[in-house]
Amino acid sequence: MADSPKQGPWPRTSHRWGWWRGHWRVARDVFSLVSVRTGTSLLVWLLVGIALALPASLMLLQTNLSQLAADWGGGRPSVSVYMELGALNAAELAAQLERRAEVEAVALTTQEEALAEFTAYTGLGDALTGLERNPLPASLRLTFVADAGADALEAVAASMREAEGVADVVIERTWLTRINAISRLARSLGLVFGVLFGVGAVLVTATTVRFAIDSQLDELKVMKLVGASAGQLRRPFLYFGALYGAGGGLVAAMLVSLGLIVLEAPLLDLLGSFDQTLVLGGFDPVFVAALVGLGSALGMAGAMLAVRQRLAGLEVM
Amino acid sequence: MGRIEFLNVYKRYPSGFEALRDLSVVFEEGSMTFLTGHSGAGKTTCLKLLLCLDQPTHGEILVNGVNVSRLSARRLPHYRQNLGAVFQDHKLLAARSVFDNVALPLRVSGMREREVRRRVSAALNRVGLLERESLLPMQLSTGEQQRVGIARAVVSRPKVLLADEPTGNLDPELSADIMALFQGFNEVGATVIVASHDRGLIESLDNPVVELSHGMRVR
Repeated sequence: MADSPKQGPWPRTSHRWGWWRGHWRVARDVFSLVSVRTGTSLLVWLLVGIALALPASLMLLQTNLSQLAADWGGGRPSVSVYMELGALNAAELAAQLERRAEVEAVALTTQEEALAEFTAYTGLGDALTGLERNPLPASLRLTFVADAGADALEAVAASMREAEGVADVVIERTWLTRINAISRLARSLGLVFGVLFGVGAVLVTATTVRFAIDSQLDELKVMKLVGASAGQLRRPFLYFGALYGAGGGLVAAMLVSLGLIVLEAPLLDLLGSFDQTLVLGGFDPVFVAALVGLGSALGMAGAMLAVRQRLAGLEVM
Repeated sequence: MGRIEFLNVYKRYPSGFEALRDLSVVFEEGSMTFLTGHSGAGKTTCLKLLLCLDQPTHGEILVNGVNVSRLSARRLPHYRQNLGAVFQDHKLLAARSVFDNVALPLRVSGMREREVRRRVSAALNRVGLLERESLLPMQLSTGEQQRVGIARAVVSRPKVLLADEPTGNLDPELSADIMALFQGFNEVGATVIVASHDRGLIESLDNPVVELSHGMRVR
Protein backbone atom coordinates (compact mmCIF):
# COMPACT_ATOMS: atom_id res chain seq x y z
CA MET A 1 0.00 0.00 0.00
CA ALA A 2 1.40 3.36 -1.08
CA ASP A 3 1.95 6.13 1.46
CA SER A 4 -0.59 8.93 1.77
CA PRO A 5 0.33 12.03 -0.23
CA LYS A 6 2.03 14.64 1.94
CA GLN A 7 -0.44 17.27 0.75
CA GLY A 8 -3.77 17.52 -1.01
CA PRO A 9 -4.32 18.68 -4.58
CA TRP A 10 -5.31 22.21 -3.57
CA PRO A 11 -3.44 24.82 -1.55
CA ARG A 12 -4.44 24.72 2.10
CA THR A 13 -6.86 27.46 3.11
CA SER A 14 -8.67 28.08 6.33
CA HIS A 15 -10.92 30.72 7.78
CA ARG A 16 -9.69 32.67 10.78
CA TRP A 17 -11.52 31.50 13.90
CA GLY A 18 -13.30 28.95 11.71
CA TRP A 19 -12.89 26.15 14.25
CA TRP A 20 -14.36 28.25 17.07
CA ARG A 21 -17.11 29.52 14.79
CA GLY A 22 -18.03 25.92 14.01
CA HIS A 23 -18.26 25.12 17.72
CA TRP A 24 -20.37 28.19 18.37
CA ARG A 25 -22.80 27.28 15.56
CA VAL A 26 -23.13 23.71 16.78
CA ALA A 27 -23.56 24.74 20.41
CA ARG A 28 -26.30 27.20 19.43
CA ASP A 29 -28.09 24.60 17.29
CA VAL A 30 -27.87 21.91 19.96
CA PHE A 31 -29.12 24.22 22.73
CA SER A 32 -32.04 25.20 20.58
CA LEU A 33 -32.81 21.58 19.66
CA VAL A 34 -32.61 20.38 23.26
CA SER A 35 -34.93 23.16 24.39
CA VAL A 36 -37.39 22.36 21.60
CA ARG A 37 -37.45 18.64 22.47
CA THR A 38 -38.49 19.41 26.03
CA GLY A 39 -40.14 16.05 26.76
CA THR A 40 -37.19 13.94 25.64
CA SER A 41 -34.70 16.25 27.31
CA LEU A 42 -36.52 16.17 30.66
CA LEU A 43 -36.77 12.40 30.56
CA VAL A 44 -33.06 11.98 29.85
CA TRP A 45 -32.10 14.51 32.51
CA LEU A 46 -34.26 12.70 35.03
CA LEU A 47 -32.83 9.27 34.14
CA VAL A 48 -29.25 10.47 34.29
CA GLY A 49 -30.03 12.46 37.44
CA ILE A 50 -31.41 9.43 39.26
CA ALA A 51 -28.43 7.37 38.14
CA LEU A 52 -26.04 9.94 39.59
CA ALA A 53 -28.02 10.80 42.73
CA LEU A 54 -27.62 7.47 44.53
CA PRO A 55 -23.82 7.19 44.40
CA ALA A 56 -23.56 10.92 45.10
CA SER A 57 -25.75 10.49 48.20
CA LEU A 58 -23.60 7.60 49.41
CA MET A 59 -20.50 9.69 48.90
CA LEU A 60 -22.04 12.51 50.88
CA LEU A 61 -23.05 10.05 53.61
CA GLN A 62 -19.49 8.75 53.79
CA THR A 63 -18.07 12.26 54.02
CA ASN A 64 -20.42 13.16 56.85
CA LEU A 65 -19.89 9.91 58.74
CA SER A 66 -16.13 10.43 58.58
CA GLN A 67 -16.61 13.94 59.91
CA LEU A 68 -18.93 12.67 62.62
CA ALA A 69 -16.38 10.06 63.67
CA ALA A 70 -13.68 12.70 63.77
CA ASP A 71 -15.84 15.05 65.83
CA TRP A 72 -17.03 12.35 68.23
CA GLY A 73 -14.57 12.60 71.14
CA GLY A 74 -12.05 14.16 68.87
CA GLY A 75 -12.30 11.08 66.73
CA ARG A 76 -10.36 9.12 69.32
CA PRO A 77 -11.45 6.29 71.53
CA SER A 78 -11.78 7.04 75.24
CA VAL A 79 -11.83 5.07 78.45
CA SER A 80 -14.34 5.54 81.25
CA VAL A 81 -13.29 4.48 84.74
CA TYR A 82 -16.15 3.96 87.21
CA MET A 83 -15.18 4.12 90.88
CA GLU A 84 -16.66 2.07 93.65
CA LEU A 85 -19.32 3.87 95.63
CA GLY A 86 -17.69 5.87 98.35
CA ALA A 87 -14.18 5.54 96.92
CA LEU A 88 -12.18 8.60 97.86
CA ASN A 89 -9.17 8.25 95.62
CA ALA A 90 -10.75 9.38 92.34
CA ALA A 91 -8.93 12.72 92.29
CA GLU A 92 -5.62 11.06 93.16
CA LEU A 93 -6.13 8.51 90.38
CA ALA A 94 -6.94 11.33 87.95
CA ALA A 95 -3.72 13.11 88.85
CA GLN A 96 -1.75 9.88 88.30
CA LEU A 97 -3.33 9.31 84.92
CA GLU A 98 -2.70 12.86 83.74
CA ARG A 99 1.01 12.24 84.14
CA ARG A 100 0.95 9.38 81.62
CA ALA A 101 2.23 10.36 78.20
CA GLU A 102 -0.48 8.57 76.20
CA VAL A 103 -3.28 10.24 78.16
CA GLU A 104 -4.24 13.63 76.83
CA ALA A 105 -6.89 14.62 79.34
CA VAL A 106 -8.76 13.27 82.32
CA ALA A 107 -12.21 14.53 83.22
CA LEU A 108 -13.33 13.76 86.77
CA THR A 109 -17.03 13.55 87.52
CA THR A 110 -17.65 13.34 91.24
CA GLN A 111 -20.65 11.49 92.70
CA GLU A 112 -22.37 14.83 93.32
CA GLU A 113 -21.75 16.00 89.78
CA ALA A 114 -23.03 12.67 88.42
CA LEU A 115 -26.22 13.08 90.42
CA ALA A 116 -26.66 16.66 89.24
CA GLU A 117 -26.21 15.60 85.57
CA PHE A 118 -28.60 12.72 86.01
CA THR A 119 -31.21 15.01 87.50
CA ALA A 120 -30.74 17.60 84.79
CA TYR A 121 -30.94 15.14 81.86
CA THR A 122 -33.63 12.76 83.10
CA GLY A 123 -35.70 14.84 85.48
CA LEU A 124 -35.77 11.78 87.75
CA GLY A 125 -33.65 13.33 90.49
CA ASP A 126 -36.54 13.20 92.93
CA ALA A 127 -36.56 9.40 92.69
CA LEU A 128 -33.00 9.32 93.99
CA THR A 129 -33.45 11.80 96.82
CA GLY A 130 -35.38 9.18 98.79
CA LEU A 131 -32.37 6.90 98.88
CA GLU A 132 -30.02 6.92 101.83
CA ARG A 133 -26.98 7.58 99.75
CA ASN A 134 -26.10 8.68 96.22
CA PRO A 135 -26.13 5.48 94.06
CA LEU A 136 -24.14 7.05 91.21
CA PRO A 137 -20.39 6.46 91.23
CA ALA A 138 -17.67 8.99 90.57
CA SER A 139 -16.04 8.44 87.19
CA LEU A 140 -13.03 9.42 85.16
CA ARG A 141 -13.20 9.95 81.42
CA LEU A 142 -9.84 9.56 79.75
CA THR A 143 -9.04 10.81 76.25
CA PHE A 144 -5.86 9.74 74.55
CA VAL A 145 -3.27 11.48 72.40
CA ALA A 146 -3.76 11.11 68.65
CA ASP A 147 -1.04 8.51 68.10
CA ALA A 148 -1.99 6.31 71.06
CA GLY A 149 -2.50 2.81 69.71
CA ALA A 150 -4.93 0.11 70.81
CA ASP A 151 -2.18 -1.51 72.94
CA ALA A 152 -1.64 1.67 74.96
CA LEU A 153 -5.39 1.91 75.46
CA GLU A 154 -5.59 -1.67 76.68
CA ALA A 155 -2.58 -1.18 78.97
CA VAL A 156 -4.10 1.86 80.67
CA ALA A 157 -7.44 0.07 80.98
CA ALA A 158 -5.74 -2.99 82.49
CA SER A 159 -3.80 -0.91 85.01
CA MET A 160 -7.03 0.85 86.02
CA ARG A 161 -8.79 -2.45 86.59
CA GLU A 162 -6.01 -3.33 89.07
CA ALA A 163 -6.21 0.05 90.81
CA GLU A 164 -7.78 0.36 94.23
CA GLY A 165 -11.35 1.69 94.38
CA VAL A 166 -12.09 1.02 90.68
CA ALA A 167 -15.33 -0.84 90.01
CA ASP A 168 -15.33 -1.00 86.19
CA VAL A 169 -13.38 0.15 83.17
CA VAL A 170 -15.10 0.63 79.80
CA ILE A 171 -13.26 1.27 76.55
CA GLU A 172 -15.70 3.42 74.63
CA ARG A 173 -15.05 2.71 71.02
CA THR A 174 -18.03 0.64 69.99
CA TRP A 175 -19.87 3.54 68.38
CA LEU A 176 -16.80 4.83 66.68
CA THR A 177 -16.08 1.39 65.31
CA ARG A 178 -19.63 1.16 64.02
CA ILE A 179 -19.58 4.61 62.49
CA ASN A 180 -16.28 3.88 60.80
CA ALA A 181 -17.63 0.55 59.54
CA ILE A 182 -20.76 2.23 58.17
CA SER A 183 -18.58 4.91 56.62
CA ARG A 184 -16.45 2.27 54.89
CA LEU A 185 -19.58 0.45 53.75
CA ALA A 186 -21.04 3.68 52.36
CA ARG A 187 -17.79 4.32 50.53
CA SER A 188 -17.73 0.82 49.03
CA LEU A 189 -21.40 0.96 48.10
CA GLY A 190 -20.82 4.40 46.61
CA LEU A 191 -18.06 3.02 44.44
CA VAL A 192 -20.06 -0.03 43.33
CA PHE A 193 -23.23 1.98 42.65
CA GLY A 194 -21.13 4.73 41.12
CA VAL A 195 -19.72 2.35 38.55
CA LEU A 196 -23.05 0.60 37.91
CA PHE A 197 -25.14 3.74 37.66
CA GLY A 198 -22.37 5.53 35.78
CA VAL A 199 -22.54 2.83 33.13
CA GLY A 200 -26.33 3.25 33.22
CA ALA A 201 -25.99 6.99 32.62
CA VAL A 202 -23.62 6.34 29.71
CA LEU A 203 -26.04 3.87 28.15
CA VAL A 204 -29.04 6.18 28.59
CA THR A 205 -27.20 8.99 26.83
CA ALA A 206 -25.81 6.66 24.19
CA THR A 207 -29.30 5.45 23.33
CA THR A 208 -30.71 8.96 23.17
CA VAL A 209 -27.85 10.23 21.05
CA ARG A 210 -28.19 7.21 18.82
CA PHE A 211 -31.79 8.18 18.10
CA ALA A 212 -30.63 11.72 17.41
CA ILE A 213 -28.03 10.42 14.96
CA ASP A 214 -30.56 8.21 13.22
CA SER A 215 -32.89 11.14 12.77
CA GLN A 216 -30.08 13.17 11.18
CA LEU A 217 -28.39 10.56 9.01
CA ASP A 218 -29.34 12.34 5.77
CA GLU A 219 -27.87 15.59 7.02
CA LEU A 220 -24.69 13.82 8.11
CA LYS A 221 -24.29 12.23 4.69
CA VAL A 222 -24.61 15.58 2.96
CA MET A 223 -22.21 17.18 5.44
CA LYS A 224 -19.66 14.48 4.70
CA LEU A 225 -20.18 15.07 1.00
CA VAL A 226 -19.50 18.80 1.25
CA GLY A 227 -16.30 18.26 3.21
CA ALA A 228 -17.17 17.99 6.89
CA SER A 229 -14.43 16.33 8.89
CA ALA A 230 -15.09 13.38 11.21
CA GLY A 231 -14.82 15.81 14.11
CA GLN A 232 -17.46 18.08 12.61
CA LEU A 233 -19.80 15.12 12.13
CA ARG A 234 -19.28 14.03 15.73
CA ARG A 235 -19.47 17.49 17.26
CA PRO A 236 -23.23 18.07 17.57
CA PHE A 237 -23.72 14.70 19.19
CA LEU A 238 -20.94 15.22 21.70
CA TYR A 239 -22.60 18.51 22.60
CA PHE A 240 -25.88 16.61 22.93
CA GLY A 241 -24.29 14.09 25.26
CA ALA A 242 -22.55 16.76 27.32
CA LEU A 243 -25.74 18.76 27.66
CA TYR A 244 -27.84 15.75 28.61
CA GLY A 245 -25.19 14.66 31.13
CA ALA A 246 -24.74 18.13 32.63
CA GLY A 247 -28.51 18.49 32.97
CA GLY A 248 -28.59 15.07 34.61
CA GLY A 249 -25.89 16.23 37.05
CA LEU A 250 -28.00 19.24 38.00
CA VAL A 251 -31.05 17.04 38.51
CA ALA A 252 -28.92 14.72 40.68
CA ALA A 253 -27.82 17.72 42.79
CA MET A 254 -31.47 18.70 43.22
CA LEU A 255 -32.44 15.17 44.24
CA VAL A 256 -29.61 14.95 46.77
CA SER A 257 -30.56 18.34 48.14
CA LEU A 258 -34.17 17.19 48.47
CA GLY A 259 -32.99 14.04 50.27
CA LEU A 260 -30.94 16.13 52.70
CA ILE A 261 -33.89 18.36 53.50
CA VAL A 262 -36.04 15.30 54.22
CA LEU A 263 -33.39 13.53 56.31
CA GLU A 264 -31.89 16.44 58.21
CA ALA A 265 -34.46 16.67 61.03
CA PRO A 266 -34.55 12.93 61.92
CA LEU A 267 -30.74 12.78 61.77
CA LEU A 268 -30.40 15.72 64.12
CA ASP A 269 -32.87 14.06 66.54
CA LEU A 270 -30.92 10.82 66.43
CA LEU A 271 -27.56 12.45 67.03
CA GLY A 272 -29.02 14.70 69.70
CA SER A 273 -29.83 11.58 71.71
CA PHE A 274 -26.07 10.89 71.76
CA ASP A 275 -25.36 14.46 72.78
CA GLN A 276 -23.94 15.14 69.33
CA THR A 277 -24.80 17.76 66.79
CA LEU A 278 -24.41 17.48 63.05
CA VAL A 279 -23.64 20.11 60.50
CA LEU A 280 -24.22 18.41 57.16
CA GLY A 281 -21.14 19.02 55.09
CA GLY A 282 -20.02 18.23 51.58
CA PHE A 283 -23.04 19.63 49.73
CA ASP A 284 -21.40 22.78 48.46
CA PRO A 285 -20.82 24.49 45.09
CA VAL A 286 -17.79 22.26 44.47
CA PHE A 287 -19.93 19.15 44.98
CA VAL A 288 -22.62 20.46 42.59
CA ALA A 289 -19.99 21.46 40.02
CA ALA A 290 -18.38 18.02 40.35
CA LEU A 291 -21.78 16.36 39.78
CA VAL A 292 -22.45 18.50 36.71
CA GLY A 293 -18.94 17.88 35.41
CA LEU A 294 -19.17 14.14 36.01
CA GLY A 295 -22.60 14.01 34.36
CA SER A 296 -21.25 15.94 31.42
CA ALA A 297 -18.26 13.59 31.06
CA LEU A 298 -20.51 10.51 31.27
CA GLY A 299 -22.87 12.05 28.72
CA MET A 300 -20.01 12.70 26.34
CA ALA A 301 -18.78 9.14 26.85
CA GLY A 302 -22.26 7.86 25.95
CA ALA A 303 -22.38 10.12 22.91
CA MET A 304 -18.95 8.93 21.82
CA LEU A 305 -20.15 5.35 22.09
CA ALA A 306 -23.19 6.08 19.93
CA VAL A 307 -21.17 8.09 17.42
CA ARG A 308 -18.61 5.31 17.04
CA GLN A 309 -21.35 2.81 16.37
CA ARG A 310 -23.41 4.88 13.97
CA LEU A 311 -20.95 7.03 12.08
CA ALA A 312 -18.32 4.43 11.29
CA GLY A 313 -18.55 3.64 7.60
CA LEU A 314 -21.33 6.13 6.89
CA GLU A 315 -22.29 5.44 3.27
CA VAL A 316 -23.00 8.62 1.37
CA MET A 317 -23.91 7.39 -2.13
CA MET B 1 -7.77 24.57 -11.04
CA GLY B 2 -8.26 20.83 -11.49
CA ARG B 3 -6.73 18.37 -13.93
CA ILE B 4 -8.08 14.90 -13.35
CA GLU B 5 -6.53 11.63 -14.50
CA PHE B 6 -7.78 8.09 -14.09
CA LEU B 7 -4.83 5.74 -14.65
CA ASN B 8 -5.65 2.05 -15.19
CA VAL B 9 -8.42 2.17 -12.63
CA TYR B 10 -10.25 -0.99 -11.63
CA LYS B 11 -13.11 -1.16 -9.19
CA ARG B 12 -14.48 -4.49 -8.06
CA TYR B 13 -17.18 -4.54 -5.37
CA PRO B 14 -17.26 -7.22 -2.66
CA SER B 15 -20.16 -8.85 -4.52
CA GLY B 16 -17.73 -9.53 -7.36
CA PHE B 17 -19.28 -6.96 -9.70
CA GLU B 18 -16.60 -5.16 -11.69
CA ALA B 19 -17.74 -1.55 -12.05
CA LEU B 20 -14.59 -0.25 -13.73
CA ARG B 21 -12.04 -2.13 -15.80
CA ASP B 22 -8.72 -0.61 -16.72
CA LEU B 23 -10.16 2.86 -17.09
CA SER B 24 -7.71 5.52 -18.17
CA VAL B 25 -9.01 8.97 -18.96
CA VAL B 26 -7.90 12.57 -18.57
CA PHE B 27 -10.24 15.46 -17.79
CA GLU B 28 -8.32 18.58 -18.68
CA GLU B 29 -8.21 21.56 -16.39
CA GLY B 30 -11.09 23.93 -17.08
CA SER B 31 -12.87 21.47 -19.38
CA MET B 32 -16.50 20.39 -19.33
CA THR B 33 -16.85 16.71 -20.17
CA PHE B 34 -19.82 14.38 -20.42
CA LEU B 35 -19.42 10.94 -18.96
CA THR B 36 -21.98 8.73 -20.59
CA GLY B 37 -22.96 5.10 -20.90
CA HIS B 38 -25.79 2.74 -20.11
CA SER B 39 -27.07 2.20 -16.61
CA GLY B 40 -24.38 0.32 -14.65
CA ALA B 41 -21.62 1.34 -17.05
CA GLY B 42 -19.57 2.84 -14.21
CA LYS B 43 -20.41 6.56 -14.39
CA THR B 44 -21.48 6.92 -10.77
CA THR B 45 -18.55 4.77 -9.64
CA CYS B 46 -16.19 7.23 -11.34
CA LEU B 47 -17.76 10.12 -9.43
CA LYS B 48 -17.70 8.19 -6.13
CA LEU B 49 -14.02 7.48 -6.60
CA LEU B 50 -13.36 11.12 -7.41
CA LEU B 51 -15.22 12.20 -4.26
CA CYS B 52 -13.14 9.62 -2.35
CA LEU B 53 -16.31 7.95 -1.09
CA ASP B 54 -14.78 4.68 -2.23
CA GLN B 55 -11.35 3.47 -3.26
CA PRO B 56 -10.27 1.89 -6.52
CA THR B 57 -9.28 -1.76 -6.36
CA HIS B 58 -6.33 -0.94 -8.56
CA GLY B 59 -4.93 2.10 -10.35
CA GLU B 60 -4.56 5.76 -9.53
CA ILE B 61 -6.80 8.80 -9.59
CA LEU B 62 -4.74 11.93 -9.84
CA VAL B 63 -6.06 15.42 -9.22
CA ASN B 64 -3.46 18.07 -10.01
CA GLY B 65 -0.94 15.22 -9.85
CA VAL B 66 -1.96 14.05 -6.38
CA ASN B 67 -3.26 10.50 -5.96
CA VAL B 68 -6.46 11.38 -4.13
CA SER B 69 -7.46 7.77 -3.49
CA ARG B 70 -4.56 7.65 -1.03
CA LEU B 71 -5.40 10.88 0.77
CA SER B 72 -5.40 10.58 4.55
CA ALA B 73 -8.66 11.04 6.47
CA ARG B 74 -7.25 14.34 7.75
CA ARG B 75 -6.81 15.76 4.25
CA LEU B 76 -10.05 14.45 2.75
CA PRO B 77 -12.37 17.17 4.14
CA HIS B 78 -10.34 19.99 2.58
CA TYR B 79 -10.18 18.08 -0.70
CA ARG B 80 -13.97 17.62 -0.74
CA GLN B 81 -14.55 21.26 0.15
CA ASN B 82 -13.05 22.11 -3.21
CA LEU B 83 -15.32 19.76 -5.11
CA GLY B 84 -18.91 20.58 -5.92
CA ALA B 85 -21.33 17.72 -6.45
CA VAL B 86 -24.84 17.68 -7.92
CA PHE B 87 -27.07 14.62 -7.76
CA GLN B 88 -30.17 13.42 -9.52
CA ASP B 89 -31.96 13.14 -6.16
CA HIS B 90 -30.60 16.57 -5.13
CA LYS B 91 -29.64 15.39 -1.62
CA LEU B 92 -31.22 18.44 -0.01
CA LEU B 93 -32.00 18.59 3.69
CA ALA B 94 -35.76 18.49 3.99
CA ALA B 95 -35.96 20.28 7.34
CA ARG B 96 -33.66 23.14 6.35
CA SER B 97 -34.53 26.18 4.30
CA VAL B 98 -33.18 26.75 0.82
CA PHE B 99 -30.76 29.29 2.29
CA ASP B 100 -29.46 26.88 4.92
CA ASN B 101 -29.06 24.10 2.36
CA VAL B 102 -26.93 26.30 0.14
CA ALA B 103 -25.00 27.69 3.11
CA LEU B 104 -24.01 24.24 4.39
CA PRO B 105 -20.61 23.91 2.61
CA LEU B 106 -19.62 27.42 3.66
CA ARG B 107 -20.52 26.84 7.29
CA VAL B 108 -18.66 23.53 7.24
CA SER B 109 -15.58 25.42 6.04
CA GLY B 110 -15.92 27.81 9.01
CA MET B 111 -16.74 30.93 7.00
CA ARG B 112 -18.03 34.06 8.77
CA GLU B 113 -21.80 34.40 8.73
CA ARG B 114 -21.73 37.76 6.95
CA GLU B 115 -19.66 36.27 4.11
CA VAL B 116 -21.92 33.19 4.09
CA ARG B 117 -24.95 35.41 3.54
CA ARG B 118 -23.25 37.30 0.73
CA ARG B 119 -22.10 34.16 -1.07
CA VAL B 120 -25.38 32.28 -0.67
CA SER B 121 -27.37 35.24 -1.97
CA ALA B 122 -25.07 35.46 -4.99
CA ALA B 123 -25.38 31.72 -5.70
CA LEU B 124 -29.17 31.75 -5.33
CA ASN B 125 -29.39 34.82 -7.51
CA ARG B 126 -27.39 33.03 -10.17
CA VAL B 127 -29.79 30.08 -10.23
CA GLY B 128 -32.82 32.40 -10.03
CA LEU B 129 -34.01 31.39 -6.56
CA LEU B 130 -33.10 34.37 -4.42
CA GLU B 131 -36.75 35.08 -3.68
CA ARG B 132 -37.29 31.54 -2.43
CA GLU B 133 -34.45 31.33 0.07
CA SER B 134 -36.68 30.95 3.10
CA LEU B 135 -38.77 28.08 1.68
CA LEU B 136 -38.26 24.42 2.45
CA PRO B 137 -37.10 22.18 -0.43
CA MET B 138 -40.44 20.35 -0.49
CA GLN B 139 -42.14 23.64 -1.31
CA LEU B 140 -40.17 23.85 -4.57
CA SER B 141 -40.65 22.11 -7.92
CA THR B 142 -38.21 19.38 -9.00
CA GLY B 143 -36.41 21.77 -11.32
CA GLU B 144 -36.08 24.35 -8.55
CA GLN B 145 -34.79 21.71 -6.15
CA GLN B 146 -32.15 20.79 -8.70
CA ARG B 147 -31.13 24.42 -8.99
CA VAL B 148 -30.80 24.60 -5.20
CA GLY B 149 -28.53 21.55 -5.43
CA ILE B 150 -26.45 23.33 -8.04
CA ALA B 151 -26.28 26.52 -5.97
CA ARG B 152 -25.02 24.45 -3.03
CA ALA B 153 -22.44 22.77 -5.27
CA VAL B 154 -21.01 26.02 -6.60
CA VAL B 155 -21.40 28.34 -3.61
CA SER B 156 -17.92 27.59 -2.31
CA ARG B 157 -16.46 28.21 -5.79
CA PRO B 158 -15.15 24.69 -6.23
CA LYS B 159 -12.33 23.85 -8.57
CA VAL B 160 -14.11 20.77 -9.84
CA LEU B 161 -17.87 20.36 -10.32
CA LEU B 162 -19.28 16.85 -10.56
CA ALA B 163 -22.86 16.14 -11.58
CA ASP B 164 -24.50 12.72 -11.49
CA GLU B 165 -27.51 12.59 -13.84
CA PRO B 166 -28.42 16.19 -13.01
CA THR B 167 -31.24 16.29 -15.57
CA GLY B 168 -32.61 12.83 -14.90
CA ASN B 169 -36.04 13.98 -13.73
CA LEU B 170 -36.32 17.16 -15.76
CA ASP B 171 -38.03 18.03 -19.02
CA PRO B 172 -35.84 19.09 -22.01
CA GLU B 173 -36.34 22.80 -21.44
CA LEU B 174 -35.31 22.63 -17.78
CA SER B 175 -32.43 20.31 -18.71
CA ALA B 176 -31.12 22.91 -21.12
CA ASP B 177 -31.33 25.57 -18.37
CA ILE B 178 -29.35 23.38 -16.02
CA MET B 179 -26.70 22.70 -18.65
CA ALA B 180 -26.43 26.42 -19.30
CA LEU B 181 -25.68 26.90 -15.62
CA PHE B 182 -22.93 24.25 -15.75
CA GLN B 183 -21.45 25.90 -18.83
CA GLY B 184 -21.47 29.22 -17.01
CA PHE B 185 -19.45 27.75 -14.13
CA ASN B 186 -17.13 26.05 -16.59
CA GLU B 187 -16.50 29.37 -18.30
CA VAL B 188 -15.21 30.85 -15.04
CA GLY B 189 -12.61 28.11 -14.84
CA ALA B 190 -14.14 25.12 -13.02
CA THR B 191 -13.49 21.64 -14.38
CA VAL B 192 -16.94 20.15 -14.90
CA ILE B 193 -17.79 16.45 -15.30
CA VAL B 194 -21.41 15.61 -16.03
CA ALA B 195 -22.45 11.97 -15.85
CA SER B 196 -25.54 11.51 -18.00
CA HIS B 197 -27.16 8.91 -20.19
CA ASP B 198 -29.28 11.53 -21.97
CA ARG B 199 -27.83 11.18 -25.47
CA GLY B 200 -30.05 13.90 -26.91
CA LEU B 201 -28.76 16.42 -24.40
CA ILE B 202 -25.13 15.39 -24.93
CA GLU B 203 -25.40 15.56 -28.71
CA SER B 204 -26.94 19.02 -28.46
CA LEU B 205 -23.81 20.39 -26.84
CA ASP B 206 -20.32 20.57 -28.21
CA ASN B 207 -18.39 19.18 -25.26
CA PRO B 208 -15.94 16.27 -25.00
CA VAL B 209 -17.62 12.94 -24.28
CA VAL B 210 -16.21 9.91 -22.48
CA GLU B 211 -18.39 6.86 -22.99
CA LEU B 212 -18.25 3.84 -20.73
CA SER B 213 -19.62 0.37 -21.29
CA HIS B 214 -19.40 -2.35 -18.66
CA GLY B 215 -16.73 -0.38 -16.82
CA MET B 216 -14.50 0.12 -19.87
CA ARG B 217 -13.95 3.24 -21.95
CA VAL B 218 -15.38 2.84 -25.42
CA ARG B 219 -15.13 6.45 -26.62
